[in-house]
Amino acid sequence: MAFDADAPHRLSERVGLRPEPFGALAYHYDTRRLVFLKATALVDLVRALEHHASPRAAVDALVADPTRRPSFLSALASLAESGVVEPQHATLRETA
Amino acid sequence: MTVTEPTAERTADAEVDDAAEADQVVVEDVLVEEISIDGMCGVY
Repeated sequence: MAFDADAPHRLSERVGLRPEPFGALAYHYDTRRLVFLKATALVDLVRALEHHASPRAAVDALVADPTRRPSFLSALASLAESGVVEPQHATLRETA
Repeated sequence: MTVTEPTAERTADAEVDDAAEADQVVVEDVLVEEISIDGMCGVY
């Protein structure tokens, strides 16, 4: 599924996020892949995603430097591709 | 036959643009890195 920066997203429930000095280590229990989040600001962003209307809104709210926002949005797209973050409606599939 | 000399030295502006582009790539690379742990049984 293509990443939609304007749709609500959240940290996947199938992902464990462990804080590290460099940022955090994300482990996806289904794909068994490890993802290094190498900035604490990115970790804060991922954790806060569900409280914002969209990834783009979250980036605008939390990344103060406008020149860095495209990089963070790109990082979120990469995390969505990895399944670390997912569209919020995706959580319904487990209970359906 | 005409031989054309290599022209133009790179301008300072072009070098600045390249540097900015390289910085952007580095920032994106640093933010996220993914690896697979398949085949690492026994490590933990």
